[in-house]
Amino acid sequence: MGPLHGVRVLDLSDPKGHFGGKLLAGLGADVIKLEPPLGDIGRSYGPFLDDQPGPERSLYWWYYGAGRRSISLDLHSSDGIELLLDLCQTADVVLETCQPGRDRPFDPVALSDHFTDLVVLSLTPFGQTGPWRDFAWTDAVGLALGGPMGSCGYDNIPGTPPIRPTEHHAGHIASYFAATGACAALYERQQSGLGQHLDISMHECMGFTIESSAPWALYEEHPLIRQAGRHAGPQPTEPWQYPTADGRLINIFGMPRSEASWLALVSFIQSHGMGQNLSDLDLLDGRKRQLGLMQPTVALMLADIAEFIAANQAETIYAGAQAAGAAWSIIRSPDEAVEDPHWRSRGFFVDLEHTEFDRSVLVPGAPYILSETPWTHGRRAPLLGEHTAEILCGELGLSDTELGALIAAGVAR
Amino acid sequence: MSDEQPSEHSNPPPLGGVRVIDFTWIVAGPTCTRLLGDLGAEVFRVENEQTLDSIRFGRPHPNGFDPPDSSGMFNWLDRNKRSITLNARHPDGLNLIKRLIRVSDVLVENYSSRVLENWGLSFEEQRAENPSIIYVSLSGFGHSGHQRDYSTWGPTAQALSGLTAMSGLPDAPEPAGWGYSYLDHMAGFTAAAAITAALRHRRETGQGQWIDLSQVETGMALTGSATLDFTANGRRYRETGHPPGNRAVWPRTAPHNTYPVAGHDNWLMITCASDDQWQAFCEVSDHPHWRTDRRFTTLPARLRHEDELDELIGSWTAGQDGRQLMQRLQAANVPAGVVQNGVDLVLNDPQMASRDWTVTRDHPVIGPHRTDGLQIRFSRTPAHRDRPGPVLGEANDYVFADLLGLDQAEIAELRANGALG
Repeated sequence: MGPLHGVRVLDLSDPKGHFGGKLLAGLGADVIKLEPPLGDIGRSYGPFLDDQPGPERSLYWWYYGAGRRSISLDLHSSDGIELLLDLCQTADVVLETCQPGRDRPFDPVALSDHFTDLVVLSLTPFGQTGPWRDFAWTDAVGLALGGPMGSCGYDNIPGTPPIRPTEHHAGHIASYFAATGACAALYERQQSGLGQHLDISMHECMGFTIESSAPWALYEEHPLIRQAGRHAGPQPTEPWQYPTADGRLINIFGMPRSEASWLALVSFIQSHGMGQNLSDLDLLDGRKRQLGLMQPTVALMLADIAEFIAANQAETIYAGAQAAGAAWSIIRSPDEAVEDPHWRSRGFFVDLEHTEFDRSVLVPGAPYILSETPWTHGRRAPLLGEHTAEILCGELGLSDTELGALIAAGVAR
Repeated sequence: MSDEQPSEHSNPPPLGGVRVIDFTWIVAGPTCTRLLGDLGAEVFRVENEQTLDSIRFGRPHPNGFDPPDSSGMFNWLDRNKRSITLNARHPDGLNLIKRLIRVSDVLVENYSSRVLENWGLSFEEQRAENPSIIYVSLSGFGHSGHQRDYSTWGPTAQALSGLTAMSGLPDAPEPAGWGYSYLDHMAGFTAAAAITAALRHRRETGQGQWIDLSQVETGMALTGSATLDFTANGRRYRETGHPPGNRAVWPRTAPHNTYPVAGHDNWLMITCASDDQWQAFCEVSDHPHWRTDRRFTTLPARLRHEDELDELIGSWTAGQDGRQLMQRLQAANVPAGVVQNGVDLVLNDPQMASRDWTVTRDHPVIGPHRTDGLQIRFSRTPAHRDRPGPVLGEANDYVFADLLGLDQAEIAELRANGALG
């Protein structure tokens, strides 16, 4: 049982909040996904199983939709809204992602006022107020306006734009605030007995994920220079990514800080017959090894390190450097990360059965191990409306005839 | 910049009454405890004068370089926290930590995986002091598995999880990756979510627990689509022209890219998620004939001719004012946004300004300065941003005398023998 055992969440989110609903499900809440009759838009996102599109074949949905039950209701019908209100009677948390001025089926603040013990989370691109609140939005537009993208890109390829890291990171970032906000509000409710409305602006969430860009802007009004494969900074810095003999890349940012670790790294490199300049006595002083200041000692050091990396295999370099206490890494693609046995030994990747397709798929699991209330991967992503009857008839007490009429009218599916 | 004054809220904040022992440093751990502090927890950073957090020296220093209390980076990341100075490697220092554990709710640390164990503060040892303690270890590789002694910084974890490789231009010799330690922030947020969930569980059952976080795992949890494309379809990420620059991957739409606008290095992101948005774009574009151009009328056609499409759009946007263009496209319901940097968020962003994203606070060394926003606006129990980052050791008297009941002679002795300070 997870730490949110006994909590029921009505998840009305679109891709902006899919990860948030998944987090709450993983923490043990009973998360009911309310989908429109044509299905959640996430079902149309690739990649697809065997590259064949279809609402039950979206691997995006298999991942982001997992752990929930699905009920399909048309919230733009009065019957649909009535059923939503009935469901709210049974729920602790509502997660919704509609922009205030965009065809919103209900007013979340009014909902919160009406159900005083309900925690209503509104996770929207810009929040409930302000001149941009109804801006047309995609994850990429969010990352552009929100700041993360402005720090990413190339200094060594002229004329290239800032680069948007792929996947759905505006949603990922804001979803952690949705999950934390929900838990904090539930914690407070245990004492006060009262719910409340939470206004979460994804734009503001991203403003707290740009690291040193924030203090440089807040205090000095000084923009940073984006630089390939390393931190943006107020000045140009040395590269961190170096090619190996087997065509991969090593990131050397985690240089040793202690003298013992530095000497161990030098000894590892020199055991391969290279890195003679690394014995330079100046480099024993940690300050002379510090990256980011364009020091001549660092240029000397990096020239030897680049030569060593170019002559060796990535896995050898990675294991040897880490053993010496240097936090170097291989730049892996996600498929390569799956193959590292360390994560298997921690039980991170888990198998999820999709019996409809006679398939079992390895998926990333819990982002944290809770000793007493473990993350429950729970059920595979639901089929569209898979639990409509279970919930409407089994829990709300509708008769089969009533459900039949709702389905015939296109209100439920 | 708003002049909103530190406020007296009618209701206590959501985590009011929660006490956190904060053994964090650099960025990942402090990100977590900043959020807990914003939410109202009482957070004590445990620092040691001999081995200060290097962020206390981190730039910028807005009022001149005068560590340990002059760093803007530290003040930004460590607001709403208190600071005590103590040496946990000294037996008397360790004893004080154990006494503090007895009157606290949460202990968070982001050291390498054996550090607290070596001090004598394993989870079992913490639990012996306080059976309902919530202990959070945030390390690179977690506290189990054969590589538990490997270590990470944010960029290390980004590279190992796949996130670095998933950001860049398709033909470049290296990925662009992330221009900052994204996973320091994300691992911190992950920890905060787990802690608040565990607090709720503890209030229900009285049970504490140990939360073991691996920074690399927090990153791999963000690669679901690409990972399943491999584990279900067998497709390796690099086989498919990835990373895709600023074009869309999943869902695959076009146009979806950055286009140059007037000024130096200014860019506008334009993404049409549907044929309707493409039609609307053409109306705004001064090239309404693009609407009927067969190369572009449907999504599959636009994808086939994406190079031409991007070139035409780029030649139209070049030289135009980015913000005006964004407003025109938005008025037609086309998702478009200029690429903003941190300075834009602070100075040029009417949305942020309208919601008082920055307010002025004071600091004994840095002086009046801006602090940034709260991410979660609670209608009934607001979070806060009233307290600046702590001056080193400012809470020593409060913790050692008021909370733990030491008298001044004892405190002086502990300071003299190296347990405090």
